[in-house]
Amino acid sequence: MDLLEYQAKELFDEVGIPVLPSQKISDLQDLKELRIPYPVVLKSQVPVGERKQAGGIRFASNTIDAVAAARAILHCSIQGYSPKVVLAEAQYDRDREFYLAVVLDRNARRPVLLGSIHGGSRTDLTAESIEQVIVRHQFSPFYARQLAIKMGLTGETMASVSTTLEKMYRLFARYDLDLVEINPLGIRSNGEVMALDGKVSVNERALGRHPDLAKRLSDCSRQREIHPTADNVGDLETIERDGNIAIVSNGTGLTLATLDTLYQAGGRPASFLNIGGDAATRTTPEMLCDRLERSLERVTQHPNVEVVLVNLLGNGISRDRLSQAISNYIAGRSPSSRPPHLVVRAVGGQTEEVATGVTSHHVSFVRTLDDAVLRAVSVLARV
Amino acid sequence: MMSFTPKTTVLVQGIAEPLGSTHAALMKDYGTRVVAGVSPGLGGQTLHDIPVFDLVEQARHQVGTIDIATICVHPYQALDAALEAIAAGIRQLIILTEGMPPLDMVRLLRKAEYTETLVVGPSCPGIIVPGKILLGTHPAEFYTPGSVGLLGRSGTLTYEIALTLTKAGLGQSIGVGIGSDAIVGSSFLQWLQILDEDENTDAIVLVGETGGEGEEAAADYIREAIDTPVVVYVAGRYAPKHRLFGHTEILLASRPNGRSTGSATTTSTGTAQRKVEAFIQAKIPVADRPSEIPRLIKKALGKR
Repeated sequence: MDLLEYQAKELFDEVGIPVLPSQKISDLQDLKELRIPYPVVLKSQVPVGERKQAGGIRFASNTIDAVAAARAILHCSIQGYSPKVVLAEAQYDRDREFYLAVVLDRNARRPVLLGSIHGGSRTDLTAESIEQVIVRHQFSPFYARQLAIKMGLTGETMASVSTTLEKMYRLFARYDLDLVEINPLGIRSNGEVMALDGKVSVNERALGRHPDLAKRLSDCSRQREIHPTADNVGDLETIERDGNIAIVSNGTGLTLATLDTLYQAGGRPASFLNIGGDAATRTTPEMLCDRLERSLERVTQHPNVEVVLVNLLGNGISRDRLSQAISNYIAGRSPSSRPPHLVVRAVGGQTEEVATGVTSHHVSFVRTLDDAVLRAVSVLARV
Repeated sequence: MMSFTPKTTVLVQGIAEPLGSTHAALMKDYGTRVVAGVSPGLGGQTLHDIPVFDLVEQARHQVGTIDIATICVHPYQALDAALEAIAAGIRQLIILTEGMPPLDMVRLLRKAEYTETLVVGPSCPGIIVPGKILLGTHPAEFYTPGSVGLLGRSGTLTYEIALTLTKAGLGQSIGVGIGSDAIVGSSFLQWLQILDEDENTDAIVLVGETGGEGEEAAADYIREAIDTPVVVYVAGRYAPKHRLFGHTEILLASRPNGRSTGSATTTSTGTAQRKVEAFIQAKIPVADRPSEIPRLIKKALGKR
């Protein structure tokens, strides 16, 4: 999850990374009391890249221009995001633009420092031009200096770039971040640096111990037009608009395996929903079945869904609860409408006996993944 | 792996948590020697006839040597629990807890490498040696003793493959889930090496998933260093593209010195398709779906 640019810059300021004087504009009236001298840059505050090409970044040299520019930006949605805030910022004359980042590398299983002297737009920034240093042991500023030297920097610039990296790392560690990026970092010949644009990605899991970050995120997520339909059931993923089979499974790997097998058998999945339970941890049998019941409601809201394939596996899936969840689902459908057919495969605990507890011609019980997939496809062929 | 026997002594940290309590009981039922539990504030009590202590150190003084710690505490306490176990001299840790922040894992791995501690997980189902010992959440009913080594990442998919093997009459020498988090302790490579040297393992099933490059690395390693036949299945070949990467990984995929540098293949690193290609290039049989695995295993075993 990404913070907005102005929020990232607030964090930069907190650790002493230089940022330009700026002002948040949420109402065009605000521009009349602009405290930054013209000319200014006006930037759309949406959590996506390539804002300039999309018309989200404009320049203004007086109030009249600024109002027109800000109005255009506020009316311009970028990749589905409508800005609620425009950031007005002073302009900065620089000689060069660098790219700097601190990011977690899953292969090295360590944070890495990344840097390139070809910063600025993404097109100039090629993989070959990015230098890296892995922070193998506990962080110390020498890692930052190593990267600055690898980037070919000397003197004042080497010193100020490595100091900036050090502060970025401090931010990264303090807030459990996935990514801290400055692109571009404006560079002047005297070695002065300025974070002109920044990106901060927070780690969702660590959010619980950083309430201030969580608050910032909730402020910016309210500005989104589209957001994932996440609730405590699990994330519903819609795949094909004209698909007609929904998958409900537990655990990411098993859900994906079910999806693959269904595709291979010629089925057309509409959506899939992982109700959790990879490590069978905090998911008690009760929770699992409760989630199943709510998931069935969720996936069948899609008008094209004619079959729901349920694939559950694990320790102690409660027989009674499972029967109950399925019975509740059937009872909850209006008798006039033809409800989607359920193909249920549940293994673990005493689930073999579930079939005897539920009698409905809208439900099929099967024992294997292959059977579940074949049944789902053949039920549709019969229709 | 061969240190996992019915004699192995096991500590459950977070034994009063739902996860710890449920699985301490199941492990004990399976015959695992769960000699102690730790739950700060509950020292002196017993749970499932297992003595509970406030500190790992106290447990160790009372019950003697502890070979393995299984960690079931809250995700924000998992780093502390692991460091406490290492400080008490325990050198094998299995973290069953889900949702541990990745930077905590980085801190733990720095310590683990320094002290030569094996860390399995987090967010993993742990280890089962069928008929001998259960160290995690594997449903015992899906497993049966035999000679196929099963390596997976996440819980339920690993169980699915175990069940498929068991139904086909192929028992298992071990079942390991290394965890599906971005940052995990033990890798496929480490386990391949352990199973290759294990005299009870005649064939290996490796179950991959989208994300990361652990499978690609495993493909190279199997071709170069593993004599035991390996059969592979990778889930997620039809997964929607956007699921596969956070931007961080896109960034890393375009980073120099990565396996994926340059060329058009950059964007496909970590996809199930790319992983399957890596295994096929290494001439390792790949099952299209879980039910194909037994046939491929039998074929591989027949060849020898």
